[in-house]
Amino acid sequence: MSHASIAIVPAAAEPTAGTVDLTAVDRAIAQFGTKPEALIPILQALQDHYGYLPQEALLHLCDKTQIKPAAITGVASFYDIFRHRPVGKYMIRLCRGTACHVSGADRVDEALRRELHIPPGDDTDPTKQFTIEAVACLGCCTLAPVVRISQTTFGHVAPEKVPRIIHEFLANVSASSELEKSTEKPTEKRPHIAEIRVGLGSCCMAKGSGQLYHALEDTVRRNRLPVIVKRVGCVGMCHRTPLVEITGASKNNTVYAGLTPALAPDALQRHFKPRGLLPSIARAWTSMANAILADRVPSEQIEACSLNRADREVSVFLDRQVHIATEHFGKLDPLDLDEYIEHDGFAALAKCLGVPAPIQTGTSKGHGIAQEKAGDHETAAHTTASHTRLAPEEIINQIAQAGLRGRGGAGFPTGQKWRAVRDQAAEKKYVICNGDEGDPGAFMDRMLLESFPFRIIEGIAIAAIAVGAHEGVFYIRHEYPLAVRRVRAALSEMEQRGWIGKRLLGSNYELHLSVMEGAGAFVCGEETALIASIEGHRGMPRLRPPYPAESGLWNCPTLINNVETLAVVPWILRNGPDAFARIGTKTSKGTKVFALAGRVKRGGLIEVPMGTTIREIVEEMGGGAADGRRFKAVQIGGPSGGCVPARLADTPIDYESLQQVGAIMGSGGLVVLDDSTCMVDIARYFLRFTQEQSCGKCTFCRIGTRRMLEILDRICDGKGRLADLDELEHLARRVSQSSLCGLGKTAPNPVLSTLRYFRDEYEAHINGRCPAKKCVPLIHYVINDRCTGCTLCAQHCPVGAIPMTPYQRHKIDDAKCTRCDSCRQMCQYSAIDVL
Amino acid sequence: MNFTITIDGHNVDVHSGMSVLDAARKIGIDIPTLCYLEKCGPINSCLVCLVKLNGKLVPACGTKVQPGMAVESETPEVHDARRTALELIISDHVGDCLAPCHRLCPLDLNVPLMLRHVTSGRLDQAIVTVQTALPMPRILGRLCHHPCEQGCRRGAWDKPLAIRDTERMVADTNAASPAPRVPQPKPASGKSVAIIGAGPTGLAAAWFLALEGHSVTVFDRKPRPGGTLRAVDPNLLPPDVLEKELALFEQLGIRFEPNAEIGQNVGLESIESQFAAVLIATGQPDDQEQPLSGVPTSGGSIEIDLETFQTKRPRVFAAGSAVRPVRHLVKALSEGKAVAHCISLTLDGRPARRPPKPFSSVIGRLDRAELEVFVRSASAHNRQTETNKQTDSAHKNFAIEAGRCLHCDCRAAGNCDLQRYAEIYNANAGRFKGNRRPFEQQWRPGGIIFEPGKCILCGICVKLAELGGEPLGLAFVGRGFNVRLAVPFGHPVDEGLQKVGAECVAQCPTGALSTV
Repeated sequence: MSHASIAIVPAAAEPTAGTVDLTAVDRAIAQFGTKPEALIPILQALQDHYGYLPQEALLHLCDKTQIKPAAITGVASFYDIFRHRPVGKYMIRLCRGTACHVSGADRVDEALRRELHIPPGDDTDPTKQFTIEAVACLGCCTLAPVVRISQTTFGHVAPEKVPRIIHEFLANVSASSELEKSTEKPTEKRPHIAEIRVGLGSCCMAKGSGQLYHALEDTVRRNRLPVIVKRVGCVGMCHRTPLVEITGASKNNTVYAGLTPALAPDALQRHFKPRGLLPSIARAWTSMANAILADRVPSEQIEACSLNRADREVSVFLDRQVHIATEHFGKLDPLDLDEYIEHDGFAALAKCLGVPAPIQTGTSKGHGIAQEKAGDHETAAHTTASHTRLAPEEIINQIAQAGLRGRGGAGFPTGQKWRAVRDQAAEKKYVICNGDEGDPGAFMDRMLLESFPFRIIEGIAIAAIAVGAHEGVFYIRHEYPLAVRRVRAALSEMEQRGWIGKRLLGSNYELHLSVMEGAGAFVCGEETALIASIEGHRGMPRLRPPYPAESGLWNCPTLINNVETLAVVPWILRNGPDAFARIGTKTSKGTKVFALAGRVKRGGLIEVPMGTTIREIVEEMGGGAADGRRFKAVQIGGPSGGCVPARLADTPIDYESLQQVGAIMGSGGLVVLDDSTCMVDIARYFLRFTQEQSCGKCTFCRIGTRRMLEILDRICDGKGRLADLDELEHLARRVSQSSLCGLGKTAPNPVLSTLRYFRDEYEAHINGRCPAKKCVPLIHYVINDRCTGCTLCAQHCPVGAIPMTPYQRHKIDDAKCTRCDSCRQMCQYSAIDVL
Repeated sequence: MNFTITIDGHNVDVHSGMSVLDAARKIGIDIPTLCYLEKCGPINSCLVCLVKLNGKLVPACGTKVQPGMAVESETPEVHDARRTALELIISDHVGDCLAPCHRLCPLDLNVPLMLRHVTSGRLDQAIVTVQTALPMPRILGRLCHHPCEQGCRRGAWDKPLAIRDTERMVADTNAASPAPRVPQPKPASGKSVAIIGAGPTGLAAAWFLALEGHSVTVFDRKPRPGGTLRAVDPNLLPPDVLEKELALFEQLGIRFEPNAEIGQNVGLESIESQFAAVLIATGQPDDQEQPLSGVPTSGGSIEIDLETFQTKRPRVFAAGSAVRPVRHLVKALSEGKAVAHCISLTLDGRPARRPPKPFSSVIGRLDRAELEVFVRSASAHNRQTETNKQTDSAHKNFAIEAGRCLHCDCRAAGNCDLQRYAEIYNANAGRFKGNRRPFEQQWRPGGIIFEPGKCILCGICVKLAELGGEPLGLAFVGRGFNVRLAVPFGHPVDEGLQKVGAECVAQCPTGALSTV
């Protein structure tokens, strides 16, 4: 493999004063310029280069640019990715997202620190090989708990698996980078009779779909099979990844779930019999088949991976879905521009520009399976039928008529927002795609950016035309490296064709689009903070009004839309506003993409019509709580949202209904909680998140959320008093009413909603009891008389709290016990009770 | 464009561009602000200027007036929100407005100020500080159980300051001077008060009422005033000191009526008829004693409203051991001071209320490193005692002793917006308990003193430094609860503020930036 290098954080040697090589600073300045707004990209480049921000480099930056020392100090200390001390050779990013939290991320953290001998209070092991860093959310919620070491993501990490993972990582560290490969140019176009589609979203890759992709490709290449192995975006069925779909080989497509690289050749053999092929291929095939027979790959194993769409398990997950934002999900190669065009891509944009719809320039036309028709919602607005331009006013009218509301959380009518920007009489206007999806437990925007970069580009381009903007920015969080790379790759593909820049899609409309990577600050999802960040400042929100529509980026009228909002725009213009408005409820039209995760049987990425009930999603599509547990509540809307109890599961999902039950639509994270989840702990979890993510500007958010957290800490530690509940509620309402921006205003929601529905759990803690048996200071591990004295628990206790007493009932030293749960996981006789 | 908005129902003529804060100030509503300075524009960090608009709480400084606006400002809900903002800020404000000694003094003596005067040899100023707070300083200087010294932070380092002895020296020196200072009463009010009982509480009340310009007559059944003070061991309180201190009362125009037994040779009704107000300060009743007839009691003690000292009988007040046993002299005097305040208010036709305890933010216990910050700038001498005299002059000895003071009080006390509004809004400094940051101090002699723990992150100095074109300036460092104000790259504060230092000190809403 040619991609030998791996994009790991370079080894950062302990620098001594004056030994820092400053040419990297000069290079970054040459690339990004000397203006204040270049600060964040420059610091990102320095962080990438040094692994931290050496003071010498920052001083040099001061000298060589117009950037003020105060700005450098302020910005470098605001964003999470910037580090100020050298780090270990490899970064371990531990996801602290909601799904990971409820699946035991704390225990994984403990296990990692133990395994690597990281001293308490430190983050780097003594040999300076690994630095551990908590990340708000890696957006792979269905694989919780998740750990990313350098660029390799590990899912379903149990504490006892940690040693193996570290070992595996070190063993494979020199292997090629999957990230590098997945954004290669699209698959070579050549005659083929079938496609093998491999889902290559971040989650899929974490489950090994990268290796599977290469194994399939190798098999095809070695045997010169007339098929292509194609990378496709997210398939949505995250609980069954890696997913491979084989099309064109027989009448019905075959889907394999959980196929391993070892099984790949055999699986191919079942579909592509040498019969009828060129003799050379037949020969190759036979030899391959022989090799397989020699290896004795049992065909039942492959059979077990085969997924039948008609199976209730599968159909119930897929049938309720309506794919608009995720149109053609699992079919498109994210970076194949021709294929996008083939599937009506840029037809809507062409309409808005009054130019003919683009036709593909590649060689695949007429080959393969391009005939497969593009979706079920075809309308007259197609290809070259009409070149009449849809006037900006008309675009806005259609969006307004469709009833589209912002998918980022608040649900503001999109048409109205567009019109507000359009109505500004300013020479210069901007459009921004808000891809700073920071909610732990949400990964819709990541999936859309990774899977449909061209669609989002089309959406933002239409928005730009509608409001009269000629510059646009994608602001994407840096925790989504694949999304950033794919959007960049998609933009450069369009640039190569001359479809962006001076002549958008060959028209006279000028549109320049750029990508800005976030630097690790949840608050930058707030629009005024996001603008501050693009301008190179600390991401501090300001008071609205004035709204960005009036005065946004560089004080110009600015339209900011969420990724998903932009993703549905082309569909609406192609299919007409009425088609969209027909889906959904009275006030919430269309569909919504949700990330279904947490303690649910079938997690994944789903797109359902607005108005679908929580029960339909959690119990039918998701199959209810996993592991035979009881579905207790669902957390909707992340840190700004609330917990809706199972008894209100018939609540339809639309903006107003969710608000009524104390949650919000948010960006669409849907984390299922079962009876093993402590609701006080969940409230504390979210508050700790918002508290850590507060920008620190206004009193209520900076100090108020902290004081709320301290009250919750006391309650979880069993030190709370009944009066604390009233103080907590009172303070929560004040913080919610009085904070400056949306982050602070919504931060108390998880607390308020759990106080509303689960006050009994709060009271139980005050009485010294954690009903879900989660809060460490309130629980004890004891061994009952089912113990056979097998010593397994003693062997696995990481803190030596269980003396080894073979053939006798074991005992746990409560003072030493850290409640890590290892013993209970290990015990085969159910002999360990949690009291 | 000119138009009218309403604030709390009052019409205000405004023009577009004005903020709600401007409009409120125009009609004299004092909306509190900490982070607002016209020059800097609205920063919107402190959020104590909240007002209610369309059902939402918004900061007044950053909200522009709009035609038809109806603003609510002085309502219980808005006040509660502002108070909460102040209380949250105070919960993360590491500083003592008032030193612990001052806070612990029932008579509210500004001890550090007195000690600063002593250190610099200005005893004439020191006596003013003393006399502002308390009566009979020479007696207190001998008998007080000095709770101040129990709270003295220096006590945690070596020995507490000799506060009581220093106060005695200040008072004795004044008394021995050719023209001893006596506080000047306000012009005569024309109102008269009768006080029954010439013990400590009655005397203290008489003293402060006289200073307010009221005509005061003190009745006592004994031939001479002083009450329990007369029973004190003469070694502790030499009789001539007592007599000279009591003589000062007459100098203030306070009249004594000795041998007056109420209910026997003088009737309560007749006193009531002659005076605008009556204070009963008869001390702890003996078992055999008859309670004052006509003044409702319970369990032998006179019943009062604890907030106002008002008995069930109109215009009749009661205080001191007559109400509840008071053990300490200083406490008895402070009761007298408090009841005098209430009587004065009543005579003024205003609602009576115990004088509020002056607001103070409280750091609490200091760790050794923090204490060191305080000790750094104080004299290293040991506590000066009678037997451990460094010099032959008492004044010099006490100057050395006073130099040991750590000056735990804030330089900005009395000139601090946070303290002022906390007092106005009756903020509870202890409402939110949580982890606090350390007390730190950065300064170079002659430069700006920067106490980061007191910084409330208003952002005014950051903005002033930016506007003033400071080469280094100031920056917010970190995020969330951990945001701190700092000079870039760890430089000292004077280097960050080379041009606008004085302006920043003047505009700092707390004592985070100050000068000596």
